[in-house]
Amino acid sequence: MHVSQFQVGIDVGGTFTDFVLRNLATGEEVVGKVPSTPHDPSLAGIEGLRQLSSESGFAIDQISRVLHGTTIATNILLQRSGSKAGLITTRGFRDILHIGRKKRSLNFSNYLDVPRQSRPIVPRYLRQTVRERVRAPDGRIETPLEMDDVAAAVDTLVHEGVESIAVCFLFAFLNPDHERRVKDHIESRFPELFVTCSHEVTPLHREYERFSTTALNAYVGPRTGHYVDRFNGSLKELGVGADLRLMSSAGGLMGSAAAKLRPVNLLLSGPVAALKKGVEVGQKAGFPNVITLDVGGTSADIGVAHGGKMRLKHVLDTQMGDFDAMVPMIDLETIGAGGGSIAFVDDGGMFNVGPRSAGARPGPVCYGLGGTEPTVTDALVVLGWFRESVLAGSGVAIDRNAAETAIEEKIATPLGLNLHQAALGIYQIAAKHMTDAIRLQSIAKGYDPREFVLIPFGGAGPAFAADIARELQIGKTVIPAHPGVGAAAGLLSSDIRYEHMSSLWDDLDTADRDVVSSKYDQLRSAAHAELDADGFTEDQMSFQFRADCRYRGQGYELTVDVPPDVLAQGWRESVANAFHGEHERLYLRSFPDKPVQLINVRLIGVGAVTQPAGSHMHRQHSDPGSHMIADCVFSGGAGPEVMPTPFFQRNAIGSELKLTGPAVVEQGDATTVVPPGCTLETDTLGNLIIGHGASHE
Amino acid sequence: MNKATSPDSLTLDQLRQMSISTAVPVENVFWQRVEVDPVLLQVIGGALKTMASEMAQLLFRMAYSSIMRESQDIGAGILDLYGRQLCESDSTPMHCGSLPAYVRGVERKHSSNYAPGDVILHNHPYYGASHAPDYGVIVPIFVDEVHIGFAGCTGHMVDIGSAHPGFSVDVPDLFAEGVLVNAAKIYDSGVLNQPLWDHIMENVRTPEANSGDVEAMIACCQLGARRFGELVERYGLDCVMSASESWMDYAEQRMRQRISAVPDGVYKAPNGWLEDDGKNFGVKLPIATRVVVDGDCLHVDLTGSSKQVETGFNCPYEGSVLPTVNFAIRTLLLDEALEGGDVPQNDGIFRPITVYAPKGSIFNPEFPHGCEARFAQINRIPDQVLQAFAEVMPDKVTAGNSASVSAIAYSGVLADDASQYWVLIEVNEGSYGARCGMDGIDAIDNLMANTRNNPIEEMELSAPVVCERYELRDEAPAAGRWRGGLGSVKEWRFLQKTSIGSTGDHRSDDPPRGLLGGENGVGGSMTKRTPDGKSEKLPAKVSGLRLEPGDVLQIAGICGAGYGAPFERDPQAVVADVRDELIDKSDAESIYGVVLTASGREADLTKTAARRKSGNTDG
Repeated sequence: MHVSQFQVGIDVGGTFTDFVLRNLATGEEVVGKVPSTPHDPSLAGIEGLRQLSSESGFAIDQISRVLHGTTIATNILLQRSGSKAGLITTRGFRDILHIGRKKRSLNFSNYLDVPRQSRPIVPRYLRQTVRERVRAPDGRIETPLEMDDVAAAVDTLVHEGVESIAVCFLFAFLNPDHERRVKDHIESRFPELFVTCSHEVTPLHREYERFSTTALNAYVGPRTGHYVDRFNGSLKELGVGADLRLMSSAGGLMGSAAAKLRPVNLLLSGPVAALKKGVEVGQKAGFPNVITLDVGGTSADIGVAHGGKMRLKHVLDTQMGDFDAMVPMIDLETIGAGGGSIAFVDDGGMFNVGPRSAGARPGPVCYGLGGTEPTVTDALVVLGWFRESVLAGSGVAIDRNAAETAIEEKIATPLGLNLHQAALGIYQIAAKHMTDAIRLQSIAKGYDPREFVLIPFGGAGPAFAADIARELQIGKTVIPAHPGVGAAAGLLSSDIRYEHMSSLWDDLDTADRDVVSSKYDQLRSAAHAELDADGFTEDQMSFQFRADCRYRGQGYELTVDVPPDVLAQGWRESVANAFHGEHERLYLRSFPDKPVQLINVRLIGVGAVTQPAGSHMHRQHSDPGSHMIADCVFSGGAGPEVMPTPFFQRNAIGSELKLTGPAVVEQGDATTVVPPGCTLETDTLGNLIIGHGASHE
Repeated sequence: MNKATSPDSLTLDQLRQMSISTAVPVENVFWQRVEVDPVLLQVIGGALKTMASEMAQLLFRMAYSSIMRESQDIGAGILDLYGRQLCESDSTPMHCGSLPAYVRGVERKHSSNYAPGDVILHNHPYYGASHAPDYGVIVPIFVDEVHIGFAGCTGHMVDIGSAHPGFSVDVPDLFAEGVLVNAAKIYDSGVLNQPLWDHIMENVRTPEANSGDVEAMIACCQLGARRFGELVERYGLDCVMSASESWMDYAEQRMRQRISAVPDGVYKAPNGWLEDDGKNFGVKLPIATRVVVDGDCLHVDLTGSSKQVETGFNCPYEGSVLPTVNFAIRTLLLDEALEGGDVPQNDGIFRPITVYAPKGSIFNPEFPHGCEARFAQINRIPDQVLQAFAEVMPDKVTAGNSASVSAIAYSGVLADDASQYWVLIEVNEGSYGARCGMDGIDAIDNLMANTRNNPIEEMELSAPVVCERYELRDEAPAAGRWRGGLGSVKEWRFLQKTSIGSTGDHRSDDPPRGLLGGENGVGGSMTKRTPDGKSEKLPAKVSGLRLEPGDVLQIAGICGAGYGAPFERDPQAVVADVRDELIDKSDAESIYGVVLTASGREADLTKTAARRKSGNTDG
């Protein structure tokens, strides 16, 4: 046995693959970045591990855990490079995926494109029907499964060359027998096919959403599986004695085996980890309520966690790209506002920023890579805040003159503004988009941002955060040690998490508690088996019991935590009270006199990964004085004002630092801007804390 | 044939005088117009949009009935003191567009006498309501005791105590369509008028759903009022209202630019025909549509359309016709998927657009004519407008759309308690006509309709019904260079005695019109099948029809028309339609001139070229 003492988080982004390596004994961390390899992201993963090992002097075989945030499934879907997938469904219901919920995404449009029809992931000729029918509410079989139809459907799909098959029958969540038999048939005859059933992927009512989720699973399944296998193979060759654990959309890790079976759960794998890191940073610093803002090149991700808990999306909102995926997803909002977002003046003379982005190529004008339209990054350069590329190590020199010319010509002149007004305006409009999105993620969902701290990630996140916090009356902005590698760091603080669910559809007051209890037992056994297979011992496992409830007559459920002992006295009341409370919090009212229905039961199995105590930063009690002073533009009382602004190096800042903005803090992976009037200090954990003087705490 | 109102004899001057706009002319405002810089303008514009979307989110998640929740048949927005719409949610166009008319109806009654804490309930279709089942809740917004505007929302109630459960077309007048609530203060200065509330809820068949829905609507408006108040407190009334004015001016300017780009002139669509009024079956009703482009203004003249009918098949003028015309023009000239995505929907959009429909016509009925079942007619207006403009803007219009709606109310009594009703309303989808460069959209809500369907599994778990089929229709799509959208077919089997009421128009004699050589669409149908195998075609409008256990109702949606000559269709697209079993191989050859290879997987391009060259006469 080798000595296992390191774990590594690997997060693959569009431009860079980020690494954070943690020594489990000492808690020390090393970070790294290598360029991503989009054609096979595992190559950058392996290359980065090699580099990290040679630079930091640890042996690769000392790595005991490899935790991975990946956009592989997301990219397969967005780039439409998934496998040829077939679908077998109940006769009479061939076009459920095509019709969807029949509502248009735009009200005022005749030229709307409907991707589920114009570019379906499972086209009609690969959707085959068979005679069978399961009936509500008891799951009894009205029409037995016709195996001749099944054989014919499978043969047709195989003849067409499908690589995967989704099996989707009406009411399979009440009785999975027919789906199972089709799966058995396929697996016995065509073991090379990836087969996935709707009752396995998401055993909940709402046929379109369930079928869509299952079809997505079939679409991304084979390629995601190959990727996981390939990456694991390379790790083994490298001498790493552990398989990948992958971040799921629900904010927990999945083992390789589970990820291969249910890759549809990986669709939000990338952005979730940064929120996870935000939660960890907040908790350690004594702030259980956090809002995270992860600003990338083309987009910004916004997450909200209250009381240290990440929130899951409502079932109406769990889309990915153009498709619906009814799986647990952390409630993250992604908006088209990032460093590369383009500023422009429209036909009506209105000043806009984004969502169109210059991306990495041609990129902002100041990168000199061919970009001609002014971007947010160009504005930050003109304001004097960004002196070098935030793409750490990219070697891109900043051409400030080019940025000035572009903003002058494209924005300032048409709007009759001066250069600084235009640049500040670009920044403020981008910040406004982020602020509005945070509002919809917090206030609109019953959370008061004044009770939260803001934690920014990404190269530009810490440049925006202070003004946004001030606008939302958030008292403090907390900038972690390595905001530019937040997602990779977040992987290290994640547990394994498996969620299982089952439909119940009964009145809470009268439901047979023995039935409810045995449902939970079944779910628990399933989660237990998965955790067991991942090598967790009993004392590392814990189980959370949840339920989806609604008032009788309502059509959407809210998910609440429920006590585990269903048979204990007062269980019904506890569930009802939890539901009334959640309803009141979200919708401002509750109806305690109205009967509550228990629609689904959910069980989450958690395999706890023991974490070393976070190491404190090695403090350098050096002179906290700035290494230079340069002119920067900030918003003053009557418009832009040029102010002499001290610049600091992050790694030179000691714990005694305390100042009032303006100030800029630079580090390899990010730039922090402290606007005039805000205060900057550090905490004992090495975070920078920006205060806004508007706290209601 | 129903006699039309007087033929189109209005002069342009008469039309300018007599047509009306949804926009509210405001001469003097009580705030000071101040300069708002372009950035703050974006900040306030974003805040308005955010609050409308927040209001709608709350409404459809908190609402009780499936029509509001699952179908999202709701609207929400903020209006200023004069009833000008500042922002609206992107829920359903009919609901949002009608909010200014609701406020006018409320103002008519209360003449600006409001107190903080007032909540007003309104559904009178002759005073601005879209139709009686669409309740509106209006909450006056106060800042520092000063009334500055309104938060409003609308939502479709499952039942409002009409002659038959849900709704029915064949009624003598407005009073048979349900309980009217004419701008009643349900809360007066924050105090609930309990007797009034009880009275309203005791006169409907679904009191639990209605009270839950109205509670949600009240919460929605209170939220909007609070948010707008906060915005005003933050930036000051002058600044917020000046920014709002700028956004309205901006929308107006964008709309006027687009109208100006269309050559001045009178654009007339061929008359459309409605099947009947729901009582006098076989008597068709005309729809006449003339659009006059007049510089940067545009007038839509519906003169020549059917006179009002003696059933509930009339359209409220202010609450339904006006928003529909606005929708038609905005969608055509500022299509959100093309150039109009960043133009907000506010009062400014309405300013250049006016409408005229003669008093006493189906589009401007006289009190107390029934006017509940208005959607099938109203949805023809945007389709007619598209046809009127087909020649001048062929790349912006569509071929004929389903342009109708099929709404069906299913009802019965609970198996375990015959004193309690269950009522479910289903709005069935239509389809789009083909577009220039794009096929028509299959099985989707069309034009003014934009609601969600109820999941089949939700329906079967909550009502005694079983779905036998829900897929695309078997008929071939309307041929064209770009093909028309296909309608859906849905079949419900009933497990208990069920009563149905429906409204719609199958367009049996006047299907969606093909454009530039494209084929016409196909009409819809509704068929009853009994367990003994007999089937019976039903009209689109039935009132209180009783079905027995085991009966099956099949609803087939209308298919949109094709655009351009079928021989010009991309052979790959024809092959895809053959592969998808939407058309067969012989249709591919005879209609589209595309010859497939032996495998049927691709087009034989040589043979196809030859076939197309020889013409399409020998199909």
